[in-house]
Amino acid sequence: MKTKLIIVLLALLSPLSFINGGDEQNVAHEGHSSSNLEHAEEGAVTKDSKLKMITEKFGVSLSTLIPQMVNFILVALALYYLAVKPVAKTLDERQQKIADGLQYAEEMKVQLAEAEYERAEKIKQAAEDAQKILAEAREQSKEMIEKKTQEAAAQAEAMIRKASEATEMDRKKMLSDVRKEVARLVVSTSSKVLSRDLSDAEKQTFSESATKELVGSES
Amino acid sequence: MKRDKKIAQLARKLVELSKEGGVVTEPKVNEVLAGLKQVQHRRYLTVLKTFLTYIRREIALQTAVVSTPLTLSEDSLKAIEAHFIKLYDRPIKAITQTDTSLVAGVRVRVGDDIYDASVAGRLQRLAENVN
Repeated sequence: MKTKLIIVLLALLSPLSFINGGDEQNVAHEGHSSSNLEHAEEGAVTKDSKLKMITEKFGVSLSTLIPQMVNFILVALALYYLAVKPVAKTLDERQQKIADGLQYAEEMKVQLAEAEYERAEKIKQAAEDAQKILAEAREQSKEMIEKKTQEAAAQAEAMIRKASEATEMDRKKMLSDVRKEVARLVVSTSSKVLSRDLSDAEKQTFSESATKELVGSES
Repeated sequence: MKRDKKIAQLARKLVELSKEGGVVTEPKVNEVLAGLKQVQHRRYLTVLKTFLTYIRREIALQTAVVSTPLTLSEDSLKAIEAHFIKLYDRPIKAITQTDTSLVAGVRVRVGDDIYDASVAGRLQRLAENVN
């Protein structure tokens, strides 16, 4: 880019050199034609007059040409240092930025692809993990259901056993109560019957025999 | 507690002093009581109460309470007395007690021991066996 701008500046300067070259050519042409001095003088007068005429017509004079050239060079230098160089620098920086951006985009594309791959891998892994967890959860729930079922069955069995035990105990207690009551009634009735039906003589006889029995058995 | 123990020992000794030929007799007990009154023990009332308890126990051990619905013959009573003297190897006097709830038969109590040969007792044992 810098080179292109320099070429443009040189191209702008070239007309001036052509003008100067024309003057020099005219001066050289004047040296060659010294032999034919007369013709040359005539020609030179004609040419001088023509050149003078042209220069006068275009307003070119040596007194202004050199300062103009110096001015032009100064302006060109100023333009080069103040405009062309910063612009070229800016353009180079922009080009560098664009290149960097493109490179960054390429890197990003690669990273994106890698990230995409990683994401896919992670999703795959996550799906596998999820399947594994699901299977474990199913297994655990199955085990828990079995365990709870067994516990419930055991509890039900224990409750039934307790209930049957309680029923059996109640039955035994009732039976015992009935027996006690029957025995009490039997004893009471027998006592009443015996005390009513036995005569005093019979009671006395029984008492004597009981005494003998007591004395005999203990000795 | 230590003092009670001493009083109990004293009461037991007094009971031993109240015996005559191994039997607690009224004159001896009166003598002991008179002596105790003369001594003027510091805890006289407690000693008396303990002595009474031990004397009652001793009399109960020396007495066979024969319960019957009707009066027993003298021979039977003597047989019982002889039997328990032999059994316990100490002097025992039999006394009778009427108890119509026995229906028929006899029941003898010596101290805390009971010998039941009554109809009511047999029925009671039968009822217990049924249970």
